[in-house]
Amino acid sequence: MKRFQLGEFEEIVLLTIGVLFGEAYGVAIKKYIEDRLHRNVSMGALHTALVRLEDKGYIKSREGESTPERAGRPKKYFEITALGKKAMEYSKTTRDSLWSALPKNIFGIRKA
Amino acid sequence: MKNNPQPPKLFLRFFRWYCRPELRDSIEGDLLELYHERVKEKGRRKADVFFIKDVMQLLRPHIMRMKDRKQINHYGMFKNHFPARHFAKIGWRNLMRNKSYAAINFTGLTIGIAACLLIFLIVQFETSFDNFHAKKDHIYRIVTEFQGPDGIRPGSGTPFPTAAALRQDFPLKEVAAIYRNTGGYYSPLEKTQGAPVKKFREDYAYYAEPQFFDIFDFGWLAGDRKTALSEPNTAVLTEDEANKFFGDWHEAIGKVIKFENKFDFKITGVLKNPPPNTDIPIQLMMSYATLRVKSSTFYENMEDWVSINGNNQCFVVLSTNLSQKQFDAQLKGFVKKHKPADYVKDGMRLQPLSDMHYNTEVGVFSGHSFSKQLIKVVSLIGMFLLTIACVNFINLATAQAVNRSKEVGVRKVLGSNRGQLVLQFISETFIITLFAVIFSVLIAEMVLPLLNSLLNTKLNRNFITDPVLLLFLCALIIGVTLLSGFYPALVLSGFNPIEALKNKIKAGRQRSISLRRTLVVVQFCIAQVLVIGTLVVVSQMDYFRNKSLGFDKDAIITVQFPGDSISRSKLNSLRDQLLSLRGIRDISYSFASPSDNGGWGSDFKYNNAPKQTDFNAQLKWADAAYFKLYNLQFVAGQPYGNSDTITGYVVNETLLSKLGVRDPKDAIGKYIGLWDEKFTYAPITGVVKDFNTRSLKRDIPPVIMGSWKNVFQKINIKLHPATINQTLTAIERLCNSTFPDGLYEYQFLDKKIADFYNNDQRLSQLYKIFACIAIFISCLGLYGLVSFMAVQRTKEVGIRKTLGASVIDIVYLFSREFTLLILIAFIIAAPLGYFFMRKWLDDFAYRITIGPGTFLLAIVASLLIAWLTVGYKAVKSALANPVKSLRTE
Repeated sequence: MKRFQLGEFEEIVLLTIGVLFGEAYGVAIKKYIEDRLHRNVSMGALHTALVRLEDKGYIKSREGESTPERAGRPKKYFEITALGKKAMEYSKTTRDSLWSALPKNIFGIRKA
Repeated sequence: MKNNPQPPKLFLRFFRWYCRPELRDSIEGDLLELYHERVKEKGRRKADVFFIKDVMQLLRPHIMRMKDRKQINHYGMFKNHFPARHFAKIGWRNLMRNKSYAAINFTGLTIGIAACLLIFLIVQFETSFDNFHAKKDHIYRIVTEFQGPDGIRPGSGTPFPTAAALRQDFPLKEVAAIYRNTGGYYSPLEKTQGAPVKKFREDYAYYAEPQFFDIFDFGWLAGDRKTALSEPNTAVLTEDEANKFFGDWHEAIGKVIKFENKFDFKITGVLKNPPPNTDIPIQLMMSYATLRVKSSTFYENMEDWVSINGNNQCFVVLSTNLSQKQFDAQLKGFVKKHKPADYVKDGMRLQPLSDMHYNTEVGVFSGHSFSKQLIKVVSLIGMFLLTIACVNFINLATAQAVNRSKEVGVRKVLGSNRGQLVLQFISETFIITLFAVIFSVLIAEMVLPLLNSLLNTKLNRNFITDPVLLLFLCALIIGVTLLSGFYPALVLSGFNPIEALKNKIKAGRQRSISLRRTLVVVQFCIAQVLVIGTLVVVSQMDYFRNKSLGFDKDAIITVQFPGDSISRSKLNSLRDQLLSLRGIRDISYSFASPSDNGGWGSDFKYNNAPKQTDFNAQLKWADAAYFKLYNLQFVAGQPYGNSDTITGYVVNETLLSKLGVRDPKDAIGKYIGLWDEKFTYAPITGVVKDFNTRSLKRDIPPVIMGSWKNVFQKINIKLHPATINQTLTAIERLCNSTFPDGLYEYQFLDKKIADFYNNDQRLSQLYKIFACIAIFISCLGLYGLVSFMAVQRTKEVGIRKTLGASVIDIVYLFSREFTLLILIAFIIAAPLGYFFMRKWLDDFAYRITIGPGTFLLAIVASLLIAWLTVGYKAVKSALANPVKSLRTE
């Protein structure tokens, strides 16, 4: 039935990873979402989403370089897998189809 | 970078602890990066706060490490559900592989648990007495405190008018007097003539006021509890008794029973059979008002504030706003108001109902008091037996652990963690325990009737449905499982998988060996304390049975005769008739036998002293033939002459020493006066050597003996030992024809005296059984350990034998260690046993001294039994052919 399971926040994270393309690691993702969408992102929520996305197979990770600020801890970079792309597309098409099914005047009336 | 601020260490460590290892480093990097950025932007303190917030928010299921993630095993034992079937299968295979160990473990546990269960039943029964009365917390018995020369001695009795006076003086309604009528017989008044009259002795017949049933909740089948006992000469029966008297209790109401052909009682009610856990076991309850009828024996006592009969007791219910202390204080005034000035010193106080069953000093109607201390001792023994059984389990399981080291190794390699292994082994223990408990319930069920007849109790028989017991069983299962399963599980699960798989784990080379030794010592220590205790108890019982009491007691019977004047008038001719029988050596009439329960006590005036003595002497009424019959030894003077009234007294040595008379000869001819000097004033004619007038638990009281025919109620008959049976039938025929209204019953004196110690005798039987169980379980464990050792050391024995060791050397090799352990256990057990048993013996006036023989017997018995157990296995392995043992690989 449900072919792809993707929560709202998970979708945003997935999209951000795509946007950051190759530069997506924890802090970078967090900052990007905060700057772009003006919403607070807690470390807990973010990493949970990342773990779940990885468990579902939508993203994969690789260990990258470290910086002195990180006290030698490696950055973990994420990129979208093929399955992840399919999930994004599925999510977009379902929404698009719903949008297109929306009566035209629904916004018109309010504007008028 | 050296002065770089660091995030709060505690929280960082906390994070590292809970975080999943594969996520730990990268997330920590993110946290640190953010932290340093925030330090720059917002300052250190805010950065700290945010850091802590981040760490706390990361505490989520997906980030936290979970125990059983990503582990594999195709039996499914590591999935989230509990793999009961897998554990059961593996556990069962293991048991089957080592059947003898399993049997030893199982037997030991079952017996231990069964003993523990039975002890629980005993304790439950003994602590449940009279707990079914709704007002139980407010019910009190009034006891008299006798002021004696050696302190206060409480007694269960109160003067007869007490209850009525209490109702008058205090705003109390629920006050009831009850008098237990001992002796005599009852018979139903049959309408059909010609049939022989049925005569029944009722052990628990009472006179009680109707208020008794307001205080105590005994159920009624018929009749009105308020009015049934308000009239004189009315009575109520219990269901069983009514069936016995009249065939069917439904027909009992309105019928009449006779007491000894003297009083008639109309049945006005039928009671339900009282439950077994009451100290007022009722069979027949007659109205107290009957005692106030003029023809009653107690008519004169009803206004008598001096005489106190232990069988006349008084119960009250205190209202909630009155405390025991307050009422005790008020009782002082009450005593002063009613008792004559000379007797005010013997005060009254309340005894709570909850204390009655445990207070062995005051005593109860049922005669079945059970001290709290005894309850503690018995429970302790139960726990000991359980411990011994658990120790077996631990020892055998750890000894056997080697055999399962490979299994542990494989499981660990396949990814199971320690917790899971502990769970596995504990659940195996659980299964064994569960079966042991089920079996022990069956055993207990079978043994219970035996125990009931041994202890003379009525323990709950369908105990399986009792919720308290079910709870106890559950607690037992959990407790035993943890106690005996936890340590072996820890040992087993702690094996290093590499060593285990390389076969490097050897029995006896581990730290558990010292623990095993300690446990064996503990086991044998407990067993030997029990053995020493039992030996002491048994020899004290022997002492009670065999100690010379100062009078003859063999081949003597006592026969009760009716106490009316017509019967008494026949005594002289009866004596001649009896003496003409060939099998009778001597006969005597008396009030009681030399050593008897209860008695008659009074203070007296010695040598015309102006005041009564400050102590009571025991009064023993007997004719002159009594002294010769019982072979009582005189130290001075001689018996009084034959007479129906008091013409002289014989006293004992204790009485003289109490009076301070040094030379018995001085006392001869001095006068003694009892309560009524008109007919009791008489000289002392002789002094007898002290003889034991009551149970050997108590010392010899001062005794005054005199001849007073009107109170005689017993015929003492000394028989020729050879012809006892024929003589007995002749006596019965003679007595029945002489006293047609009496109920002929005889009792052998030695049997009666042995009955004084019935309760102790029963307990000593129980101790014997417990000690045997303790030794048995301990040796069972020892046997298991030795047979295990024998298997482990097969090769060693083979090599030793080829190098020239003899069978004795090998047997010595096996038994040396256990002998040492048992000796150590004995060194601990001996002083403990001595200490406890000294305390136990302290309660008795006449007691044995615990000699070295007891201890010698205990240690020799333990060693012998242990050697026999060890020896069998040891000899067997010593006799094995070394070629065989060395060739097998």
